[in-house]
Amino acid sequence: MNNFLEIKNLSIAFPGNHLVNTLNNFNLKLEKNGSLGIVGESGSGKTLSMLALTRLLPKQAIVSSGSIDFLNHNLSEIDNLNFYRNFSGKKISMIFQEPMTALNPVYTIGRQLMHTYMYHNKVGKKEAHHKSLEMLSSVKLSDNLERMKQYPHQLSGGQRQRVMIAMALINNPSLLIADEPTTALDVTVQKEIINLIQELKEKFGMALIFISHDLGVVSQVSKNIIVMKRGDIIETGKTYNVLNKPKKLYTKTLISCLKNLNTKRKKNQRQKNNKIIEVKNLSKIYKLPSKLFSAKKIINAVNDINFSVYEGETLSIIGESGSGKSTVAKMLNGLLTPDRGEILISNKDVNKLDTNERAEMIQPVFQDPYSTLNPNHTIGYIIARPLILNKPFLFDELRNLVLKTMDLVGLDKGFYYRFPNQLSGGQRQRVAIARAIILEPKILICDEPTSSLDVTIQEQILQLLKNLKQKLGITIILISHDISVVKYLSERILVMLDGEIVETGDTISTLQNPKKEYTKKLMSAVYEI
Amino acid sequence: MLRFIAGRLIVVIAVAITLSFITFFLLNYAIDPAQAVAGEEALFEEIEQVRIQYGFDRPILERYFEWASGVMRGNFGESYYWNKSVYLLVLERAPETITLALMSVSVTIIIAIPLGILAALNPNSIIDRFALGIAVAAQAVPNFWLGLLMIILFALTFPIFPVSGDKTYFHFVLPAIVLGASSVPPVMRLMRTGLLDVVDSDYIRTARSNGFYGWNLTINHSMRNAVLPVVSVLAVQLGHKFGGSVITESVFAINGLGRLALESILGTDIPTVQILVFIFAFMFLIFNLFADILNAYLDPRLRK
Repeated sequence: MNNFLEIKNLSIAFPGNHLVNTLNNFNLKLEKNGSLGIVGESGSGKTLSMLALTRLLPKQAIVSSGSIDFLNHNLSEIDNLNFYRNFSGKKISMIFQEPMTALNPVYTIGRQLMHTYMYHNKVGKKEAHHKSLEMLSSVKLSDNLERMKQYPHQLSGGQRQRVMIAMALINNPSLLIADEPTTALDVTVQKEIINLIQELKEKFGMALIFISHDLGVVSQVSKNIIVMKRGDIIETGKTYNVLNKPKKLYTKTLISCLKNLNTKRKKNQRQKNNKIIEVKNLSKIYKLPSKLFSAKKIINAVNDINFSVYEGETLSIIGESGSGKSTVAKMLNGLLTPDRGEILISNKDVNKLDTNERAEMIQPVFQDPYSTLNPNHTIGYIIARPLILNKPFLFDELRNLVLKTMDLVGLDKGFYYRFPNQLSGGQRQRVAIARAIILEPKILICDEPTSSLDVTIQEQILQLLKNLKQKLGITIILISHDISVVKYLSERILVMLDGEIVETGDTISTLQNPKKEYTKKLMSAVYEI
Repeated sequence: MLRFIAGRLIVVIAVAITLSFITFFLLNYAIDPAQAVAGEEALFEEIEQVRIQYGFDRPILERYFEWASGVMRGNFGESYYWNKSVYLLVLERAPETITLALMSVSVTIIIAIPLGILAALNPNSIIDRFALGIAVAAQAVPNFWLGLLMIILFALTFPIFPVSGDKTYFHFVLPAIVLGASSVPPVMRLMRTGLLDVVDSDYIRTARSNGFYGWNLTINHSMRNAVLPVVSVLAVQLGHKFGGSVITESVFAINGLGRLALESILGTDIPTVQILVFIFAFMFLIFNLFADILNAYLDPRLRK
């Protein structure tokens, strides 16, 4: 029997000094109405393989070998014109990661939907309008007559992704490719979108290829799975088999990383230490720049919150984007001044502390290790910088201290004279941590410290933070949207929504028995293997 | 949308008032109006007599309000140099300048937009290099020289167009090409980079994944986004054409506002210069207002 989709020995290269395959001998088989997940870290070639199928590869890319059979057509024999007219959007549809930019900002939702339908079906506006409305309701959007006249910027991220799905399915394709469709969305919305995709897959009877870096999500939606790394297929098979009996080392580490993060820890018996941070009635207001003739818009980023942090504990602040968690972090750091309320660190107001004094108390680690290190300075200098500023040491002593700290965060001595661009993301984050702990601060504020790292690296960094905490007795405040990271590292959590604290308590018991509706919603959106 | 336009309109009026204020004050402080009227060789007593006779001895604010209220009613004052109402003078000369400005901007649009699109669709190709070559050349060549060259080539060697004058539209072809050529480089470059950015964007990838390709993709999915920055620049260029056609008008002997401005400056005719500076600046404001409204129509995100 002929396969629905079969890709054989697909290789893609980019021209450079040497022609190296970015995608190497990619093979794939998919049956009608089947589902397949492709998992891999960034740069693994998972998206590239699908772009080759949909002919959306960047111009420079060279397909060096391989053949694609789809619905009994050998696609390499079909010229571009024929492919665009009869396959793109009609038989094969694709939805992308960024719903914010994937819709044209200057046209209404209605026009974009109708055009896509009219283009392939040669029907009039009336019929296209009718069909578009029907599609909008099948992706569960409401007020659709009104919605058709709206522009993308008037919709939320989740709504836009729904419109994207409606547009992808309007011509009833037989294959839907979803490229990280939920990565850019908030956790609670993620689950809704994934459920919607699964539901529509059944309803429209199409095959689904789901690309993601998240093993948990992929295992939820697809029966078969391909694990990729650096352009090669590492392992492939039924999802259940791959997850439970992984054959290759890489797959095993990938799974154990996730499992480690998800292991249930015993409830800690927290000894009542001294309060190190006390936050009282903290508020921060953002004023949007006012336009002529319209009232100033005011956003309550943080609204009258109170909490304390005890010495030696790890407190996590979780919430979706816009919940105010990063604003709290910035105020704790003294990078923003609160509009009302006060922050006491060891009974001293942060904003009245001298900069040097504050630097020795509290240090930040930020999300993106690529932009937080000055590209013109050596690693040694970057790490030594807080010392140079705060304590005028002799050169020898400085060097020794830096080397000691580098050793502590697991960086080789050899990196001392290197520059940031010679380091990987994980190594850079280690540098950022070394820089933060060299002054031996009492508190470390980590704002999404692992969000921009790959899964395997993520676990190493979290492990490092955990070790440091034990060795140095640092108090850590962790800002994150990722429940598994929070669960792994912290003893107490604080759930934020719209600038207010929704729930607070011991990590394990709060996550297992969430009391508030919002926390429940957050928890239900986490996929476990 | 109406609110947006109303808001912009109020800003334009406020700027226009400030503008008239500044031009009036600068001109009246830079030159002694009484001396300008009396002439360079006038005696002290004569100048003083003129000052009293024309009311230049009154406080400057009083004179400003008199002038401003006159302008509002279409009374631009009397030209001392031309011995004529400034209003009539402007009305006489304006059609030539308007014709020249509109025609030259048309030339710019006809050359720059298609070249920019072709260059963007085929980056680093021969077409792209050719377009870039034209842009560099058009930017490097001085206006008056290009004008003279055009006259020699298309009016003398091949007598297709008249050498100079402003009697028919035919007379405006050469000057429009000369004036329009100077705006080709910025407009073409913006069109090219604008479209290149759009072609690389995520929403064009979405459109391509839905099967759109070729001209359909360019016209129906990319152009509206790419043309946004071009609209603003075209407005500025059109403003330039109104005030900046002095040299071209002189080369081709067109009796437009530009030449009037030049002659009035040489004759220290304050009332005429005053109103011309104001009109040129006001035109800039109006064109920018139109560009803002057009952009808001094209891009819904700007309507807020």
